[in-house]
Amino acid sequence: MSDAHAPAFRRAVLALNGGSSDGRIVRLAAEYARQTKAQLVAVHVVEIDWTLPLDADIAGRSEEVQRVLDMAESVAEDYRIALEPVLLQARDVGAAIVDETTERGADLLVVGLPYRKRFGGEFAIGRTIPYILQNAPCAVWVVRDPINEEPA
Amino acid sequence: MIGGRRPLRGRKPADRRVRVERPHAPYFRYMGAGTLVAKPAANVPLTPGGRLLRRVRTVVFGRPLSTEEEIGERLSKTKALAIFSSDAISSSAYATEEIMRVLLLGGASALFLSIQVSIAITVLLAVVSLSYRQVCRAYPNGGGAYIVAKTNLAPIFGLIAAAALLIDYVMTVAVSTASAIAQIQSVIPAAYDFRIEIAFVSISLITVANLRGLRESGNIFAVPTYLFVGLALMIIAIGLVNIVAGTVVQVPPVDAVPFPPQNQLEPIGILLLLKAFAGGSVALTGVEAIANGVPAFKPPEARNAANTMTAMSILLGILFVGLTVFAVAYGLRPTLPGGPSIVALAAAAAFGDGSPLFIGFAAATALILFLAANTSFNAFPRLAAILAEDGYMPRQFSFRGDRLAYSWGIVLLAAVAFGLLWAFGGDTHALIPLYSVGVFVCFTLSQIGMVKHWREVRETGWRWRSVINAIGAVLTAVVLVVVVSEKFRDGAYLVVILVPLLVAMMLFIKRQYTRSSREVAVSPDIVIRAPYREERAVVPIPGLNRAVVQAINVARSVSDDVRAVYITDDPDDAARLRADFERQVPGVPLVVVESPYRTLVGPLLAYLDVLDSAWPPDKASPITFVVIPEYVARSWWERILYNQSAKRLRSVLLGRPHTVVVAVPYRREDPALFEAALGGERQERPGPDAPPGPRSDGPPTGRPPTH
Repeated sequence: MSDAHAPAFRRAVLALNGGSSDGRIVRLAAEYARQTKAQLVAVHVVEIDWTLPLDADIAGRSEEVQRVLDMAESVAEDYRIALEPVLLQARDVGAAIVDETTERGADLLVVGLPYRKRFGGEFAIGRTIPYILQNAPCAVWVVRDPINEEPA
Repeated sequence: MIGGRRPLRGRKPADRRVRVERPHAPYFRYMGAGTLVAKPAANVPLTPGGRLLRRVRTVVFGRPLSTEEEIGERLSKTKALAIFSSDAISSSAYATEEIMRVLLLGGASALFLSIQVSIAITVLLAVVSLSYRQVCRAYPNGGGAYIVAKTNLAPIFGLIAAAALLIDYVMTVAVSTASAIAQIQSVIPAAYDFRIEIAFVSISLITVANLRGLRESGNIFAVPTYLFVGLALMIIAIGLVNIVAGTVVQVPPVDAVPFPPQNQLEPIGILLLLKAFAGGSVALTGVEAIANGVPAFKPPEARNAANTMTAMSILLGILFVGLTVFAVAYGLRPTLPGGPSIVALAAAAAFGDGSPLFIGFAAATALILFLAANTSFNAFPRLAAILAEDGYMPRQFSFRGDRLAYSWGIVLLAAVAFGLLWAFGGDTHALIPLYSVGVFVCFTLSQIGMVKHWREVRETGWRWRSVINAIGAVLTAVVLVVVVSEKFRDGAYLVVILVPLLVAMMLFIKRQYTRSSREVAVSPDIVIRAPYREERAVVPIPGLNRAVVQAINVARSVSDDVRAVYITDDPDDAARLRADFERQVPGVPLVVVESPYRTLVGPLLAYLDVLDSAWPPDKASPITFVVIPEYVARSWWERILYNQSAKRLRSVLLGRPHTVVVAVPYRREDPALFEAALGGERQERPGPDAPPGPRSDGPPTGRPPTH
């Protein structure tokens, strides 16, 4: 896409789910951010169930969780774009992403959607994306994985 | 905030979230299971002096490059041609003259044979470059003659080739710098008085440019190289047009070397031609550099290197034969010392003496002679790195610096070359006989190696390839014999001494590395279990102070068997310390060793020996941890004042069997931490009648009995 057609945004929040779509959405956002000199914030939310306190030492100890954000940072660096990584623990992923987007005043939220099917073959969108689409204060891009890709 | 987790409110009361701090993020990045990759911040020096030095280094050499950026530092063919070929191409500036100076001895008619000799050398160049094209493809990791000879002949032949090349590269830097200074002198005679300073500056500049990395040195050096090539091609074109048009105007000889008298003329025979051939063969020096540096090329490395090799050979061949044809057609003759060179005469004839193009060409010639050294700055460190990886040179030579350059090799080359120039007073004429001997040793060995290679791999076309290499081997061997026999007395004998010395040094280093790696090797069939040996800790103390208490607590965390050892020449002092120690550090026995001769190290070592001898002989010797309290120095002068005895103790204990030395530094900046961290309990101080303990607030090792 040429510069003239590049969608303009000032600050984008990239919601990473640790799946195969993460790299894709970081590259996509970085490509546009480079043209518009926009800021990127990568958010990864670790869902904490009700059996544990919300501030339980879970995400900070997990190498795998840290790697999600480190990988995003590394991809953004390839595009020479600064990316702020944010690691959250929350009871509800969708609400945490929307709240973080609101707090940061982002004008774009990019989310990845793995291609998954329910038992019976029907496409499953989950509950996070509909919540985000319903509540996000800004534009939302949903980047779905290709059909032939293994679900994360 | 709880343990790096900051609670945040959401839009709804139930939507709370916690932001988790990531303390590793500024310094590291997780890139795989259990794998951290350091970020630039992890390399930032902590002291102000270190940060200043870092800033200076960044200004001079550029920002540090990560290993991932290596691919971006690779050379395109055009830059590689400038970097690796400046030596070979610059030799076209004097190779013709070398031939003519020999043929002069045969009279005026012999000079016409210059063209045939230059063509013969170009044929040799074609054979050698064809061979090195094969080397580039067969050995894409670089290494040139060293790898070919080592792999196909025997390691010792590889080392001979490497030693000869290393010497040759040093010579190239010294001789080409001296030649360039001589060019400057011919224009500015006053430069003679500053030749050492000019040499220092020029070598330093080339060193800095190379330490800045491949790509940048390519940018810096490409312009003068292509300027020289362009102008030299213009001279040849003008000459050819005039020859074809029949408008050549013979240049009257000025300050020309006179022909020998008729009765002293050398017969125009095979000997004279061989001498001229050997003299002109200096044109081939530097041809091998590309084969050494294949990994420096952009992918596909081997193909790009091979194509660059071809381009360089064609260019060198055209320049060499073209300038020789021009010189013969215009009747140019070598001049007496101090006179203009053949290329300068050719430029004057083509462009007009004193014209802007003539001056431009003179400047470009001087520059390319300086830059001939640059080929060595690329080839020497790469060869040294390959040798280091194989264990024949110290390992540091295989480490790459901030800018991905082989800094150790670059600095060593610069230092040795400048040392030579300085030792010879800037006149390296005496070194020239050594120059080019090494190259022909390598050519011969690599060609023989390639013959063997083709016979073994037997891939398509192996017959004609091995024939080409065999012809090349014979031709280069002949030139080697001629060069050595012609220049032996002038100094080539030094090569015969230096090469074996270097080879012996490399074999010595290899033997050391092999032996040490054998000694520390872990057999692959062994599964390492947890240690079962008993441990004990000995804490040599200078009194009782916070550093000592910290060391004792570290010792307690290592073993249950801890004892403090106080060595003194004052029994009263010892008694006072014992009283304090037993009261304040219960559970840790204090051993007082009286030292009437006021020494510290000897009695401590003897005490450790006694402990060892007292150990039951039927049990495995325990590991003894000698825990030494130390102060963290806050400035350079504190390093002189404190910890001297600790350093001595560390050095004498270093090789002691079954002994581990642990230095426990105490930071005086954190006094508040002491009581909290050490968990000391407050007790009432003893009454005024109690004997005072030894003053031990001072540094742990700054006290008697030793000094």
